[in-house]
Amino acid sequence: MSEPILSTHRLTNWFGKVCTAEDLDLAFRPGELTSIIGPNGAGKSTLINLLTGHLPVQSGRIVFRGVEVTRLPIHARVRLGICRSFQVVNVFPQLSALDNVLIPALAAAGRTRRFLAPVSRERAARAEAEAVLASVGLSERRDTRAAALSHGDRHLLEVGVALAARPALLFLDEPTAGMNPVERARLLESVRGLAREGRTTFVVVEHDMDVVFSLSARVVVLNRGEVLCDGTPDVVRNDRKVREVYLGDEVIDLMPVAEGARP
Amino acid sequence: MTRALRLAAPLLVLAALCAVPLAGERFLTYLAIRVMILGVFASGYNLLLGQTGLLSFGHGAFYAAGAYGLGLFSLHVSAHPLLGLAVAVAAAALLALFVGFLCVRSSEVYFSMLTLAFGMLAFAVIWNAREVTGGDDGLVGVVRGKLSLLGLALPLGKESQLYYFVLALFALAVWVAHRIRSSPFGLVLAGMRENAVRAAFAGVPVRRYRLAVFVVSAAFAGLAGGLEVLLEGSARPFMSHWTHSAEPILVSLLGGLGSLAGPLAGSLLFVALREIVQRFTEHWMLAFGVILLLIIGLAREGVVGTLEQLLARRGAPEA
Repeated sequence: MSEPILSTHRLTNWFGKVCTAEDLDLAFRPGELTSIIGPNGAGKSTLINLLTGHLPVQSGRIVFRGVEVTRLPIHARVRLGICRSFQVVNVFPQLSALDNVLIPALAAAGRTRRFLAPVSRERAARAEAEAVLASVGLSERRDTRAAALSHGDRHLLEVGVALAARPALLFLDEPTAGMNPVERARLLESVRGLAREGRTTFVVVEHDMDVVFSLSARVVVLNRGEVLCDGTPDVVRNDRKVREVYLGDEVIDLMPVAEGARP
Repeated sequence: MTRALRLAAPLLVLAALCAVPLAGERFLTYLAIRVMILGVFASGYNLLLGQTGLLSFGHGAFYAAGAYGLGLFSLHVSAHPLLGLAVAVAAAALLALFVGFLCVRSSEVYFSMLTLAFGMLAFAVIWNAREVTGGDDGLVGVVRGKLSLLGLALPLGKESQLYYFVLALFALAVWVAHRIRSSPFGLVLAGMRENAVRAAFAGVPVRRYRLAVFVVSAAFAGLAGGLEVLLEGSARPFMSHWTHSAEPILVSLLGGLGSLAGPLAGSLLFVALREIVQRFTEHWMLAFGVILLLIIGLAREGVVGTLEQLLARRGAPEA
């Protein structure tokens, strides 16, 4: 089995008296599309916040590609290859779609310190930004301000912003929230395509079980900061504790066959 | 047409500025120098406020650091104006590096309050360190040396001679501000203004870049402070007062935060309004307050921003 791209060791977090991560030992393998599910308050978003540096780690360790990143600031983790999208769309609202993805592309290329040459001369970064926009289907909206895009397009743009940072590991926090079926299909198609390319390992937090079971090779179920179940979609679907705590029998019966679960 | 205007406007403004001393009006030349000095101060400040979204109430301290830096250097070391200005810029930038290091850790209102506190501290130090700064009398008797450059010694004694020296540095400062705004660094600053968290998740070290632009804008303030001492022959403690720190903010609001031309047009309007209104009343800030209220209420984008919108509307095809 390949070395994990990221692993946590006894990761713990408390918000006052509420435990949102308790001695979590998790490992994500390169190229594997993992979904994290669980009831509200299970600690899914907190886990992403801890892994990406948005929240300071209270105790425990995070190791990314053999390097301890537990205390690294956000931008340093991004430079190493850990990136994310947010549950609530989080882009640069008054900048064009192209400029939104150009900023991470410039940062990834180490070109953001250039302060006297025009940005229009950054041809390589611009070409990369254009390619990222094309990969999320937003080429035609390149000059539109992010604030003027539809909700679904802004979600796609946010995934684009994250991809332009050249992540090795990308966390998507409820990427399809608030999307209509057409937008959701576009996003899932983009994620599947990118996952197939194999350059990026995706970890998706999602409430939509159709999305989870059609997309993932592995599903981690969290409950009150602990791992309730961790395995293939079939294993999770048939787990008694998961049925009791989260899924329920009726939901299980309606779930699609796990396409993404095939090895 | 708008594109042609954008290309031609800087050249027309430069040509008009070159012609000012030819009118032979000394007071007009003096006022134009004051406009350019304020323009340098405001265009640097707007890199911080308009481009990065950080509101500092302490930039008067950096203006004063430049003024006193040049003044002390001229009185005790050399009266060479370029060396003095280099000291002015360096003094302001160094002070900003220290102040900024402590301030950029906070954001929004806390950042603004910290800069205000440091500005007031600088004022108190200048006011009380009488032996070095001259206290409330200021630093007086600073003479303009000749501009020795490439074997030439150009005198700056006359107002018109100083005018072209200031114009050259003004043009350089505006060019640098323009290049910064349109550079990758400038785009990142705009990103930080729009969403600092997203900028960090795009791989940008937000604090470090905030500190960088803080120091750059302070260097502009130091240059402006040094130029004022060359013009007036003295440095005054009120240069570091918070009311002086407010000037580039007012000027930027007047002209418009969103463009390079905004603070420059604002500087012209600010100095012109002050000269006109002061002929009728001592309380010119009262009149200026009303004008600013009207601008914020009716033309939130400032004079330049509103004109640009009107031009764009005229140029747009009818529906």
